[in-house]
Amino acid sequence: MKILLYGGSACGKSALAEALLLKSPGEPRIYAATMEPWGPEAQERIRRHRAMRAEKGFQTVEAQRGLESLALPQGCAVLLECLGNLAANELFAPGATGESALQAMLAGVRSLARRAETLVMVGNDVFADGVPYQGGTAAYLRLLAEAQARLAAEADAVAEVVCGIPILHKGSLALP
Amino acid sequence: MILMVGGAGQGMFPCAQALFGFRPEDAAPGGPVWDNFHLAVRECLRRGEDTAALVEQAAQKELILCQEVGCGIVPVEREERLWREEVGRACQLLARQAETVVRVSCGLPQVLKGELP
Repeated sequence: MKILLYGGSACGKSALAEALLLKSPGEPRIYAATMEPWGPEAQERIRRHRAMRAEKGFQTVEAQRGLESLALPQGCAVLLECLGNLAANELFAPGATGESALQAMLAGVRSLARRAETLVMVGNDVFADGVPYQGGTAAYLRLLAEAQARLAAEADAVAEVVCGIPILHKGSLALP
Repeated sequence: MILMVGGAGQGMFPCAQALFGFRPEDAAPGGPVWDNFHLAVRECLRRGEDTAALVEQAAQKELILCQEVGCGIVPVEREERLWREEVGRACQLLARQAETVVRVSCGLPQVLKGELP
């Protein structure tokens, strides 16, 4: 089962993703963390998300880029958070292009999906501020939009999260 | 309490009028409606205050209207980032307490929680 949850800043997507994963089949539960732990704000965010996962039995695996080489156990349940960070890490890696970053993201997520009984992906809605971006930010938006569209097409269920409430766009969040 | 969210210019107030019968004057100070809650969060942060008290205060109202502000590229300025996140978190808290949560897009209401009268 592959689920994509997405939404804006602090919409409650992480909490919902965790709740879903806790109800899903698959062991062990793995948290694939994409955030580069640089700077006090990132560390504060990591601290907050770690607290949310505390005592829920998640193993945290660093997953900043190159997810295809992550050797996760067959039959696990994975929470991948988040596609927005993963896109930035792949795109802004030395020597990367938009196309190479897209391929790395897709190959990485598909590799997780092959091993995971349940894969919950957290995506980001960053596309609606009406600002005409140039250069790296424009390339980032193109990459994330394309990756999320492709992954949504491959997912069993897709929901947008607003005020902590899922708005279903595809499939069902009712778990087996 | 009813929480209504939506992007800029999506027609939240007209929806509130049509669905629940609120009038523009209901949003006056002391009235049953809190309009532009996202701006109150911004003002609260600017004053260096905790938003928990603001959420508690808002929860006493009959209707809260809050613009969605978290669906763009994460801003470079720290204050802008914090504001977006605090608006998001406040809306999660309010949604938990609300009997009804409605999101408005293109003038169309979508009920996320509860039922319309």
